[in-house]
Amino acid sequence: MKSSAAPALPVFQAKDFKSDLKPIWCPGCGDFGVLQAIYRALAAVGRPPHEIAFVSGIGCSSRIPGYTTAYGFNSVHGRALPIAQGIKLANPDLLVLVAGGDGDGFSIGGGHVPHTIRRNPDITYIVMDNQIYGLTKGQLSPTSPRGLKTVTSEYGSVEAPVNPLLYVLAYGANFVAQGTPADMAGLSEVIEEAIRYPGFSFVNVQSPCVTFGGEEAQVKAHRAHMKTLKSLGHDSTDRLAAMGLAQLYGQELHTGVFYRNPEPPPTLDALFRERQETLAGKALPRERILDAFIQK
Amino acid sequence: MDDLVIGMAGSGGDGIVSAGESLIAAAAYEGYSAMMTKSFGSQVRGGESSCRVRLSTTHVFNPGGILDVAVALNWEDFLKFGAELPVSGATVVIYDSKTGVEPAAIPLAGVAPKEVFAVPIGDLAKQATGTDKAKNTVVLGLIAGWFGIGRQGILRGLEKRFAKKGLALVQANEKAFILGEQFAKEHPLASPRAMDRPMGVPGKKMLVDGNDMCAAAAIFGGCQFFGGYPITPSTEVMQFFTREVWKYGGSALQAEDEIAGIGAALGASFAGKKAMTATSGPGMALKTEMMGLASIAELPLVILDVQRGGPSTGLPTKPEQSDLFMAAFSAHGDVLRPILAPTSVADTFDVTVEAFNIAERYQTPVIILSDQEVAQRKETVDLIDTSRFTIEERRRPTDAELTDYARFRLTEDGVSPISHPGMKGGNYQGAGIEHNEHANPTASGKVHAAMNEKRFRKLAPLRLRRDLFHIEGNKNAKLALVAWGSVAGICREVFTRAKGEGLDVKLLVPWLLYPVADEVYRDFFASVRAGFVVELSHQGQLYRILRMFTDVPAGVVSLARSGANPFQPDEILAQLRNAAVSLQQPDVSVPSEE
Repeated sequence: MKSSAAPALPVFQAKDFKSDLKPIWCPGCGDFGVLQAIYRALAAVGRPPHEIAFVSGIGCSSRIPGYTTAYGFNSVHGRALPIAQGIKLANPDLLVLVAGGDGDGFSIGGGHVPHTIRRNPDITYIVMDNQIYGLTKGQLSPTSPRGLKTVTSEYGSVEAPVNPLLYVLAYGANFVAQGTPADMAGLSEVIEEAIRYPGFSFVNVQSPCVTFGGEEAQVKAHRAHMKTLKSLGHDSTDRLAAMGLAQLYGQELHTGVFYRNPEPPPTLDALFRERQETLAGKALPRERILDAFIQK
Repeated sequence: MDDLVIGMAGSGGDGIVSAGESLIAAAAYEGYSAMMTKSFGSQVRGGESSCRVRLSTTHVFNPGGILDVAVALNWEDFLKFGAELPVSGATVVIYDSKTGVEPAAIPLAGVAPKEVFAVPIGDLAKQATGTDKAKNTVVLGLIAGWFGIGRQGILRGLEKRFAKKGLALVQANEKAFILGEQFAKEHPLASPRAMDRPMGVPGKKMLVDGNDMCAAAAIFGGCQFFGGYPITPSTEVMQFFTREVWKYGGSALQAEDEIAGIGAALGASFAGKKAMTATSGPGMALKTEMMGLASIAELPLVILDVQRGGPSTGLPTKPEQSDLFMAAFSAHGDVLRPILAPTSVADTFDVTVEAFNIAERYQTPVIILSDQEVAQRKETVDLIDTSRFTIEERRRPTDAELTDYARFRLTEDGVSPISHPGMKGGNYQGAGIEHNEHANPTASGKVHAAMNEKRFRKLAPLRLRRDLFHIEGNKNAKLALVAWGSVAGICREVFTRAKGEGLDVKLLVPWLLYPVADEVYRDFFASVRAGFVVELSHQGQLYRILRMFTDVPAGVVSLARSGANPFQPDEILAQLRNAAVSLQQPDVSVPSEE
């Protein structure tokens, strides 16, 4: 377990997770805030950088592993989740983080999300949701609101957006939260809690695109409109209530934990490990693996 | 007799394949060399099914051509297999008399076999067991009776197979076998064809198909992770892994799609474990992007492509050798991926272990290009001494190298020490984006050129690996055969027979298809004036690739045709004879332009 295996010493600080690489992001990009929140969360969790594998796909936000001192894998578009599962299954002792944009996670890579959820590997998935394709300079994304005018929707989008929160809740995710860089303390907290959660955990971050995003999607607007789920008295163990609130995605900006299964089901990596332990004694020695084929 | 080719066909419920399985298991147990291929219609259940079993007292190179024995439980299904079950005038034809066809009127065009037996197969089965389900057991009795093979082994096999279902069923099937055997004894062949005793010792042969062999070899070679998606004809590899790999401390993931399958395998490799995926043509197309990532991120990975007929869905259950271009060239950017091809179930072991070794040594994806026949046929394999294999591991950084670690350091041989998560000081960013020595992203043309050069340079030694080629015959021979994959087995037989009849021929069978070992071919072709590159594809893809990368004499031509049209040794032999005659013609030189 990534959380319980945390050593007491040494104590890490946020700066220990910061690499020398300078982010390519535009000044004021929401992703800077997400990066800071991840530094803080990792410091709080206390695993050394070399025991962390941070996987991403393609997009502005997918550059994020490179800005940390962890092992990173900036892979191909939409495929971070399968790669991360391979890493976790190959070495369950690692802390495995996945991050990317809404296009990476819910458009090109959308098919991997349900299957990752139902397998429940002990990994954390952070989506930086800015409702736009930033790296390719401002096209519609799967979470773009209806009516949004972009370079590929000159006359306004006619498509309904994907609702990432409802999407993952519907497929049975056991930990679902949302944050915004407008509330750094809250964001660091939900990321830390997600990392500590034993099993697949999902954090949707409303991460403003300063260059292509609308005014209502900027930090200033977030600050004015965001509501913590705590302040609404939401019971985060109530999955149906979480789904009710999640339906307001795109209309309200709720922050905090939507759902946290108080009885985490067994993780994929734990089940695999158990199977390895059960069957370990039943192997022929590796060099005699062919003996099973002999016709005696 | 020292060699016998049996072909059988019936409808799905007739148990033809299980009769074949019983026969080959019995033959293997008794020490014969044997090979079995199965063929089905595309129906999931029912429909037509067939199998071929070839037995030899010495060695079987291929499933054989013309049948010595043809068994038809009904003619409609038998005829659907056409060229897969070819009959000649010398074939012994056995069919169920219930079909109502007169022996003189069997529906085989162009032949009038001398020995045709209409046997009440269904009735004998009913007599023995009360139902006609045991038709396949009656067939086994007929074969044992007429060709003298496998009696003990088959009876032993029946006992094993039906033991769980009770003694009564075992005895009923034994009776069905004996009725078949008796029928054969009461109706002897005009020219007896009993098999000689095998050279092998009982109980000393493996019986295995190519897919199981590949998976077992992978685990032997240290593979700790499999990620894949079901696809014919490679699925058995995943089935083996999901059953066995846990016992060796590894994991297997049946992923949601082909991309996730290779993605998980690549992730496992990034995490420091040997990993593989398996697929067929359509899956290879989907995995292409991830293979590119493996190349640029310099991660070891083994990809098995069991080729079937294409393009698209093509012929999912039939062999073809038409994925070579895709394996070599389907990539954006400049990419060199080693490709190895097994030619038999036996050498699938060597090739798979080698694939992992190359992947680990050079930190590269390696493609094993098998085909439906090699992968799904069952073959007797002599015991393999696993101690003669070396298992390689990727080069990890030393403590000194970790003090100023550069994941993609430009070393002399192009191989940079590779760390993995969990290794302190080895932290780096793996990436699909071009990177400098310290793994930081770059758009510099200079760095890109240096990295491309490194990624090609590290694989250059492969072109000198003469041990990945099998060359037989007189060094100065004027005639040549080149064949790969399952077709190599046909050409091995052709080569032996050609030499036997005095043709001056040599044979080259590559395990390494790509990169093209230009010098190996140049040396081989130096004496050659005529020959054939024999392949089961419309284009003749290896021939084309050889023409790209090495000098091929003008007299060496492509002998290629689409999949599911197996080559017959006789036809290739005839081509060689003609080629030999044409070399004896006085040289008619073309007047030069000058």
